[in-house]
Amino acid sequence: MAMRVILNQVWRAVEPRMDTNRRESLNALFAPPLRPLRYIALALLLAACTPEPPPEDGIDVGAALGGAAAEGFARADRPRAFRFPEDHGPHPAYRNEWWYFTGNLEGPKGGRYGFQLTLFRIALTPDAPQRPSRWAAQHLWMGHFAVTDVPGGRFHADEQFARGALGLAGAAQDPLRIWLKDWEIRLEDGAWRIRAAMEDAELALTLNPEKAPVLQGDNGLSQKSAEPGNASYYYSIPRLAAAGRLRLGGESIPVQGQAWLDREWSTSALGADQAGWDWFSLQFDDGRELMYYRLRKQDGTTDPHSAGSLIGPDGEVTRLAAEDVTLQPLEYWQSPAGGRYPIRWRMQVRQLEQPLTLRALLPQQEVDQSVRYWEGAVEISGPQGRVLGRGYAELTGYSRK
Amino acid sequence: MSLLWRMSGRELLHHRWQALLSLLGVALGVAVVVAVDLANESARRAFALSMESLTGQATHRIQAGGQGLDEGLYTQLALDPDLDVAAPTVEGVVTVQGLTLRLLGVAPFAENGVRGHLEGLEGEALTRLLTEPGAVALSVDTAASLNAAVDRPLAAQAAGRTIPLTPVALLAGDPGLDGLLLADIATAQEVLDKLGRLDRIDLVLEPGQAEELARRLPPGVRLEAAEERGDAALELANAFHLNLTAMSLLALVVGSFLIYNTLAFSVVRRRPRLATLRLVGVTPRGLFRLVLAEAALLGALGALLGLAAGWALGNALLGLVTRALNDHYFLVTVTGLTPATLSFAKGALLGLGVSLAAAWAPARQAAGASLLAARRRSADEGRARRLVQPLALWGLGLLTLAPMLIGLGPADHLVLGFAALLALILGASLLAPLAVQGLPNRLAGPLGRLFGPPGRLAARGLAASVSRSGMAVAALMVAVSATVGVGVMVESFRGTVDRWLGQTLRSDLYVSAPEGADALPPGVAERLDGVPGIRERSSGRRVEADTPRGPIDLLALGLASQSPRGFELKTGDPASAWPRVKAGEAVLISEPLAFHRGLGLGDELLLNTPAGPRRFPVAGIFYDYSAVRGMAVMERGRYRELWDDPAVSTYGLYLQPDADPDQVKQAVRGALAGHGEVLVQATGEIRARSLEIFDRTFAITHVLRLLVVGVAFIGVLSALLALQLERAREHAVLRATGLTPRGLFGLTALQTGLMGALAGLLALPLGLAMAWLLIEVINRRSFGWSMDALIPPGTLAEALLLAIAAALLAGLYPAWRMGRAPIAAALREE
Repeated sequence: MAMRVILNQVWRAVEPRMDTNRRESLNALFAPPLRPLRYIALALLLAACTPEPPPEDGIDVGAALGGAAAEGFARADRPRAFRFPEDHGPHPAYRNEWWYFTGNLEGPKGGRYGFQLTLFRIALTPDAPQRPSRWAAQHLWMGHFAVTDVPGGRFHADEQFARGALGLAGAAQDPLRIWLKDWEIRLEDGAWRIRAAMEDAELALTLNPEKAPVLQGDNGLSQKSAEPGNASYYYSIPRLAAAGRLRLGGESIPVQGQAWLDREWSTSALGADQAGWDWFSLQFDDGRELMYYRLRKQDGTTDPHSAGSLIGPDGEVTRLAAEDVTLQPLEYWQSPAGGRYPIRWRMQVRQLEQPLTLRALLPQQEVDQSVRYWEGAVEISGPQGRVLGRGYAELTGYSRK
Repeated sequence: MSLLWRMSGRELLHHRWQALLSLLGVALGVAVVVAVDLANESARRAFALSMESLTGQATHRIQAGGQGLDEGLYTQLALDPDLDVAAPTVEGVVTVQGLTLRLLGVAPFAENGVRGHLEGLEGEALTRLLTEPGAVALSVDTAASLNAAVDRPLAAQAAGRTIPLTPVALLAGDPGLDGLLLADIATAQEVLDKLGRLDRIDLVLEPGQAEELARRLPPGVRLEAAEERGDAALELANAFHLNLTAMSLLALVVGSFLIYNTLAFSVVRRRPRLATLRLVGVTPRGLFRLVLAEAALLGALGALLGLAAGWALGNALLGLVTRALNDHYFLVTVTGLTPATLSFAKGALLGLGVSLAAAWAPARQAAGASLLAARRRSADEGRARRLVQPLALWGLGLLTLAPMLIGLGPADHLVLGFAALLALILGASLLAPLAVQGLPNRLAGPLGRLFGPPGRLAARGLAASVSRSGMAVAALMVAVSATVGVGVMVESFRGTVDRWLGQTLRSDLYVSAPEGADALPPGVAERLDGVPGIRERSSGRRVEADTPRGPIDLLALGLASQSPRGFELKTGDPASAWPRVKAGEAVLISEPLAFHRGLGLGDELLLNTPAGPRRFPVAGIFYDYSAVRGMAVMERGRYRELWDDPAVSTYGLYLQPDADPDQVKQAVRGALAGHGEVLVQATGEIRARSLEIFDRTFAITHVLRLLVVGVAFIGVLSALLALQLERAREHAVLRATGLTPRGLFGLTALQTGLMGALAGLLALPLGLAMAWLLIEVINRRSFGWSMDALIPPGTLAEALLLAIAAALLAGLYPAWRMGRAPIAAALREE
């Protein structure tokens, strides 16, 4: 889902100023000198996600070419047959793709931790470049890595970029390996191994799937807005048993817990009237899982394309529609960076017997990188405060960047 | 007081031509100073900016000598989780429409905040930059100078080929981007023919990180602080800038003579009025201040005018300065003058200061005005004449000071050299009045015999009005001597370079890589083998080699039997030096390198080779004028071994005695046809081209010379006008006693011619002394070049003629005016 965050942020950032001189406004937006990557990423994603060039004086040949180039990519416009483990690997015919791990972990002393590791593939061209330099790349890779340290009351996040060239980053099918410099996702004998490090935290986990992949949306085709073709292929592995080590500062902690994998690939973008969304992946102690995203429109109402699924202990899937779920923020956290995020919710799902309360393990789980969003570990409790499970939430569109 | 001011104003207005000329003098002087300063500063700033835009925020760089880094090293470092390595860079020079531009290849997603050039890029432009071969981004200004537009391909010469480069984005706002083509690193590798190589990796390191990183680098690869490189190049160019500045100050010195003349004249003329003012109660201090205020007004107006003119002139000079810098020091693109407040302030202050200083003596004179002496001009001539000798003594003192200044301080102290030059000029100027007083009197007899009474009158008149004529002669002398000094220096230098070229270019034909290409394509040697008429060949590989004190040129020579004759050793014995060089044990270094690094025979030169730092004993020092930053010569086998670089930049071909050079040249061309772009040149062509570059470098000094003479010309004109107006009565008497207007014209012309000749004659020894100083002190201290002094008689004759012509020309108008002046009115004043 985080890709959607990025796209939306870009739209929001650029749109209001588009009517004035475009270059000027982009320059103004992209002004701070020390963080150029952020702006480059945004700019690139803007191109990658803009099917039509914004209105401008005269004919923008570059944009026309960019548009034409988009034609070379495949589109997620019909249901397809998924095959595993092949579909765990890359789909370079589509413009964007990501491997998105989130999870709740626990240390030996009962300390709670959360993590997110995401690798994004962004295609620059539909075809592999035929150029003599080894630096010529078809893909750009972006990675986000975050760790929530509940006992320490701290949240760590980092970001990396690399071009898919010279072995700096890439995706290999057999054996499956997706990497961005020293951040790595591998699949060996049915078990996922992930590794990532930043200055204050380092994580190495083995993740064993406890459930089969769940196809989201219409058999894996997830419609994101009313426009046809504005969709992605989307599946999740809703429960993986996680075990490994987490280094925080100088301390290395053995951890175990449960993780969630989201896989999505697509070519085209979403509608411009969406303000952001609230996405949840919940893992109940009784063996059920729930995924739901609410797309918020500019006027604050819920977009009818909001959707989700409820997965039974044996893997049976119940699709959730927008009208099945109500969400009510109970408490907010004011980010020093400007956003105001809900950190406690009341969630009612028609298919569930009781209302849920979702509470962020830490308020400040805000990822403030090229894009700014909130992505963090939550705890699920019932009406009497009884803990029902754990999950992850992603909140976007609350802070303008 | 307001009455006084009004009088002042009326005076200046009434003699507006006089005032205007001195205003012009100051203006021109200030203009030259400001223009040179602006051009210098702009070039320097452009250099600093382009350095900055190349290295960005980088504190350090990883680099290796010779062929750069293997790109695998970057991957290895980037994948190391303990290191935060950023900004791999591929850089080189391309030529578009005859303009040399720097192509900077960066990896946009590996910059890590080192450079921000691509921040303003839109996504699609960035995507194109990353994916399209030959895609570049450039600044709006650079695009304008190339008449380039997005999607209109530019034909670029790079690495000896012509490659289309397509602008995909224009970047606004950053002057550091001027002259730069930004490309993705893949594009840069392809265009510059540097596949698999990086020129450097730029990094931002925290204190303390450097040592750790340096430890992890393979041998031959170095980590160095970013500022080192730029500083070395700037230091060298500073000498060039300093030379220009000194020349520009000369113009101001000459301009100050003008102010003096104007004010002194106006004081003399107003004597009666000033004396009356004293009588009605104005204090001497009041009068003193009045004259100084007039000078301040003239100086301020002149300076203001000079600032505007300096801006325009600076634009013209900028091209010359930039070209000279590009030929010799570093590639810098300056699209426009940078308005530097400091340059303007300096110019304005100098103009004002010089005006006030020049007005000091006339102001003192005004303060001393008394009614008794007021009507007697002869009184001040008398005083002036009494001053001539003390002034001359001061002059002598300064002249003896000059050589002492040279001896003072270390042997490379440039400022002391210029101080000596200044002492020389001032000393000579102070001596000039003595010459004006003494010489014409002696000439009176011969001139009288030649031209009759007017001849005698002309000579005597000159001596009699030494306060006026002495100054004019001094101004003209300084200006003309500057042309002599600089002319002799440039001619000597040119002669030396020419002789050196003849000595150095020993082969008959040269086969070399075209400009911008790093080396000849492989296989040239084999093809040359098949060409008949070639007796022997030498091979040369010229590269930039790194030393701890910045890069130098390194020439790796595959010697032919005659090659050693191409090097004239200044120090060292060829018989013992060459065997050691051939054995790869030792190197030869060029004179500037020896000078700048303080290296002598037997010292060691440290070179950072890809195999690590190596020390080479110096076996000899040779004359060289090709590499300003210095050059070392090494045997090619040794170079190959250390640098792992088999490439060749140039082959020198020695022909068989009976071979026809033109035929062989054609045959070589034929043999190399279709083998990439290769230059085949006869020795003569190279020599001509080298001299062309030389002349280009010194074009700016010619311009400055002319400007100095221009100021002097105005000086003479103004002095003559003053003189002639002063003499109105005298001339009226002559006319009344029968001298025709024509005769008066002749008298005046003779007098001005005499002044010119005097100035010209005095300028010769002064000019030669200046030339000696420029050659032996200033140039040696600036560049480390020694040159054979060459006194071209033409230059000397030219100087003499210039002085006389300038004086005569300046005298035309005053003489014409004299002839037409009404006699009666002038006589009535009596």
